[in-house]
Amino acid sequence: MTVVIGFEGSANKIGIGIIRDGEVLSNPRRTYITPPGQGFMPSDTARHHRAVVLTVLKEALEQAGLKPADIDCVSYTKGPGMGAPLVTVALVARTVAQLWGKPLLGVNHCIGHIEMGRLITKANNPTVLYVSGGNTQISNDPSPGYNIEQMAKKGSQYVELPYTVKGMDVSFSGILSYIEDVSHKMLSSGQCTPEDLCFSLQETLFSMLVEITERAMAHCGSQEVLIVGGVGCNMRLQEMMGVMCKEREAKLFATDERFCIDNGAMIAQAGWEMFRSGQVTELEDSWITQRYRTDEVEVTWRAD
Amino acid sequence: MAATDGGANQLEFSLDVPFPSSREAEIALRSLSPDREPRKGGIRKQLTVSGSKLSVKWSADEARILRVSVNSFLDHLSLVLETMEMFGPPVSQ
Repeated sequence: MTVVIGFEGSANKIGIGIIRDGEVLSNPRRTYITPPGQGFMPSDTARHHRAVVLTVLKEALEQAGLKPADIDCVSYTKGPGMGAPLVTVALVARTVAQLWGKPLLGVNHCIGHIEMGRLITKANNPTVLYVSGGNTQISNDPSPGYNIEQMAKKGSQYVELPYTVKGMDVSFSGILSYIEDVSHKMLSSGQCTPEDLCFSLQETLFSMLVEITERAMAHCGSQEVLIVGGVGCNMRLQEMMGVMCKEREAKLFATDERFCIDNGAMIAQAGWEMFRSGQVTELEDSWITQRYRTDEVEVTWRAD
Repeated sequence: MAATDGGANQLEFSLDVPFPSSREAEIALRSLSPDREPRKGGIRKQLTVSGSKLSVKWSADEARILRVSVNSFLDHLSLVLETMEMFGPPVSQ
């Protein structure tokens, strides 16, 4: 029996979760919400996490009904993400690992999403689309948001927007500048509503994501798709991906908001896999990093 | 700007933090030392433990760079201390 605790705080969510052999024993989380129209900044986010981290840690232990002695490994997000929040959480993880005399494991946040997706959906060897607000794995450009999703549900008129896919790369920057340019003309002349623009934005962007996913599946001969990351909660994206999968007789796996959105248990799950395959992070090597490519991680826990 | 090489124009700042035991001072040291300074240059800090005391020494080119680093360190230190308070004392080795 292996029990792992995972600490996550790379963006505006701070979560601590405990997993025992594939069972989520607890997964409390807090979200730093900024006023509408404002994004979250590193030092404010770190301050938020700092204020609640120890409370959330106590909750994680209490809800799991465990004592520190029951834990086998302490895992935390090494990166990628925002510097100040990452440090805040790493400090607590390093300290309790030493206080409790447990090994420490630095986890790649994106691998956390993927391993949790695999655990929950039991997908065997899927093509994974990881799409999130902070960490879209296909480009560094901005990604669609929750508010857009809500408005898009009320839109119906399709407005043609720039669609940019080159092989496995997508570009979103052209779309936003185009929309900024064109929207106020179209909105003031009543040609379309903001809801229609949100709808069109989703249709266009998600089509791009579906295209590259399909291309990856064709290249790898894969018959399974797993969508992870916060944007994976979007029902329209899941629907569109589902249509493509049906056409290819492939299976689509998606998780719900408990696990799509950043959480501690996903770090614990990745930590569980890594720890059982013999990995450990020495304290001197436990520095956090804002940039951490998913393909930099040595996957020692899978043979395929 | 002068490099952080201990030259005459460096600002220096020292901080000593007492702990109940050398073990706890070591724990704090190992929690606080791994991360690099966010700035690319202009500041250097060194953490050491002697007995049950954690000592931190900074060398900086400019006062404002020093202030940011020291401020940030004190925030981090207080989080480590609070964690040790809540989840300590360390288990026997």
